[in-house]
Amino acid sequence: MSIWDKFKKNNNDWQTLLKQSTDYQSTYYINTKTNNRFDFHFFSTLIDEQIVQESALPALLNEELHTLDDIKKIVPIADVQISKDPSDIEQKIFNGYVLITLDSDKNRYGFIAAQKEIVRGLSQPEIEFSVIGPKEAFVESIGQNLNLIRKRLPIKELISEEFTVGSLSKTRVAVLHIEGITNSENVETVKQRLTNIEIDSISDSSYIVELLSDNSNSLFPQLLDTERPDRVAAILSEGKVAIVVDGSPHVLIAPTTLIEFFSAFEDYFLNWIVASFFRLVRVFAVIFSILVTPIYVAALTYHFELIPSDLLGTLVTSRRAIPLPPILEALFLELTIELLREAGARLPTKVGQTIGIVGGIVIGTASVEAGLTSNVLLIFVALGALGSFTTPVYKMSNTIRLLRFPFLLFAQLWGVLGIVFCFCILTAHLLRLTSLGRPFLAPIYPLRIKDMKDSIIRSPLQDMSSRPTVLRTQNPKRFNKKKAKKVNDIDEESAK
Amino acid sequence: MESHVVPDSAKISPFLVYYVIISLQVGIGVLSYQRILAKQAGHDGWISIVIIGIVIHIIMWMMFKMAETAEGDIISVHQYVIGNMAGKVVSFLLVFYFMLYIIIVLLNFIEVIQIWMFPDLSTFWFSLALMILSTYLVFGGFRTVVGSSFFGLVLPAYLVLTFVFTFRYTDFTQLLPIAEHSITDLLKGSYYMSLTVVGFEILLFVYPFIKEPKKSKKWAHLAVLTTTVFYTLLALISFAYFSEAQLQKTIWGTLSMWQIVQLPFVERFEYIGVANWILILLPNIVISLWVASRLLKRTTKLRQRKGTILISVIVVIVVKFFDTGQEIQALNDLTEKIIFGFAFVYIPLLFFATMITKRVKKR
Repeated sequence: MSIWDKFKKNNNDWQTLLKQSTDYQSTYYINTKTNNRFDFHFFSTLIDEQIVQESALPALLNEELHTLDDIKKIVPIADVQISKDPSDIEQKIFNGYVLITLDSDKNRYGFIAAQKEIVRGLSQPEIEFSVIGPKEAFVESIGQNLNLIRKRLPIKELISEEFTVGSLSKTRVAVLHIEGITNSENVETVKQRLTNIEIDSISDSSYIVELLSDNSNSLFPQLLDTERPDRVAAILSEGKVAIVVDGSPHVLIAPTTLIEFFSAFEDYFLNWIVASFFRLVRVFAVIFSILVTPIYVAALTYHFELIPSDLLGTLVTSRRAIPLPPILEALFLELTIELLREAGARLPTKVGQTIGIVGGIVIGTASVEAGLTSNVLLIFVALGALGSFTTPVYKMSNTIRLLRFPFLLFAQLWGVLGIVFCFCILTAHLLRLTSLGRPFLAPIYPLRIKDMKDSIIRSPLQDMSSRPTVLRTQNPKRFNKKKAKKVNDIDEESAK
Repeated sequence: MESHVVPDSAKISPFLVYYVIISLQVGIGVLSYQRILAKQAGHDGWISIVIIGIVIHIIMWMMFKMAETAEGDIISVHQYVIGNMAGKVVSFLLVFYFMLYIIIVLLNFIEVIQIWMFPDLSTFWFSLALMILSTYLVFGGFRTVVGSSFFGLVLPAYLVLTFVFTFRYTDFTQLLPIAEHSITDLLKGSYYMSLTVVGFEILLFVYPFIKEPKKSKKWAHLAVLTTTVFYTLLALISFAYFSEAQLQKTIWGTLSMWQIVQLPFVERFEYIGVANWILILLPNIVISLWVASRLLKRTTKLRQRKGTILISVIVVIVVKFFDTGQEIQALNDLTEKIIFGFAFVYIPLLFFATMITKRVKKR
């Protein structure tokens, strides 16, 4: 029972509570033809007064108005609703409708849509920036976002179902899928989980991510969020479910897999060989970024024997005057980088850049000169940090940054053995993870060679003629491969 | 007969049987099997491996026959042959078989680490850590367990390439003359290989979890073939790399071979090899733990979660009591007998018993 319901039980007049707000307005007018008195009730902050003034009011004043049903005939606004139920009032008024009551028609309520839409202009994607390709990004309005998606998929099969989540925030959440392609089990799971959510307010789609996740204790995000309409459209046609949350410029995609977090959407705009190379670079960067400092710590703490004598010379020279054991040295530098990043993220952009330069150059050089850290490790840590930033999805790149710390601890504990052990823990965790009940590590495990075409490498578009088998789509075929890839014989014109 | 219905969501694709069998067959034995082989059959040791490989293929065929007849795992087979209660009692004993297997794997591996890398690695803490990780994996269900065996095989597969480094120092004429040893020597060699090749009997335990088990037949046989070929090739390389006398004194032949690996950034490769061996051993432990806890569940109605924890605790406690190499060796010798008895004697006997029961039941 909402506050409103409770209130209505105690007070018969629904206006008493509304009148406490200063932006609540109620006025009355008298129709010139029938002398019928009608009342307007609305929140001035929620409605566009121009619509009321120019479209609704002249008609209501000057045309024949006997009953509420007449409004539909005379007012030139499409969304006019008549209701007998007083419980509709709250929902409608707060969604930007003007409530009309008529003296001659006391038991019914008329609503005219006059929402004031304050929409931020379309801007470029900032997190998932791409040099080439579309330059539009989602904004905070669900209507605008749905418009962006629908424009890219103008088909009747694209179904959008709306839910309201949050007892106070009443956030609109739309679930999108393409009928006939998406596995209905996935859609049902999303809907089921959305309706099961018990929360008072939703501030961003990240809330939905956490509430919808199979395992919310995991470091890994289990729903992909994107600010690119093109990506959402592409992924919808692949057979996944998109979730649009009002007030959030990030649209969620489910189910997702680990590999998807390392594919930038720009990969699809580049030549497939170049794109595949970049993907391999990214995978290498992540592995490097997680493992480089732990291996340094393990090798210098326990396994000097691992390092060839030439390399050992370099390392020993750089560490000669350093008083700290390798683990403290590594932790010191890693934490410094984290500090720089966190400070850079909290400060305004211009100041943030200065911090980066000051931190990177001054602190780095100074700490080496002061003999706190070795310059070899400084290079490793900086490269590791760089590697972690190559991850295209912000949430995943945070995860990658955090992952190195358990590895560091295990490296200090058991050397190389500890690193492999920690790697086993990581694999075990990833093996157990699911996204909407679908395996998170697909297509590596369960192994689906067919799906490998769009994973670590990005195959030519014409080769990706089938949808990922892991999604169990209703229609696994994307297009006719034979027609798409017709190769002419030498010195022959293409047959038409 | 009560039958445990396995939900489809817990079942695995037929081809994954390949990974399950290989990952369980390849374990701690690979690091050291060359010495015993050289002692028993000299440079003809590789023939012993081929012999035992053929035997395993036959037993694999028997196991499929049994599982198909009883329509289920080994418990169903036992119940089919000797009735419900007696079948459960006999199957319950197998829990100890798998516990013993986990203990052997842990003890031998920790010994290798202590000798090659960390002399003062705490047996207790390391085995505890491994068992906690294994329990976590088992809690994820059979698919996760098989996933660990998949990664346990795919990720360390690159280690095979490292044996290329030994080629420069190999002398394959050492293998000549072929078949110098008597057949008894060769069979003795095969007997001592049993601890290294064991693991294929897992099929009788995971059978109900395979989607379309008929299709998995070729994968199971392919798995056995792969390991046999791998062991044979590795043995051939070892016999060509070491002289016979040297090999008889080299306890960890495979590890010693890694000492020759030279990379511009890694000097002592055997460290990486030993560390990587966790990936290979983890599925050994995890699958055994899963099987043991499932046997416990089906025979005593103990929830599998509780059973897994119980077995892990017992394993960690037992492992703590073994300190010296002699004790471990004694346990190894005992285990060898038990494993040989179960995999190469008991299973064929059970097969004949099943076939006879089938005849009797038909009449």
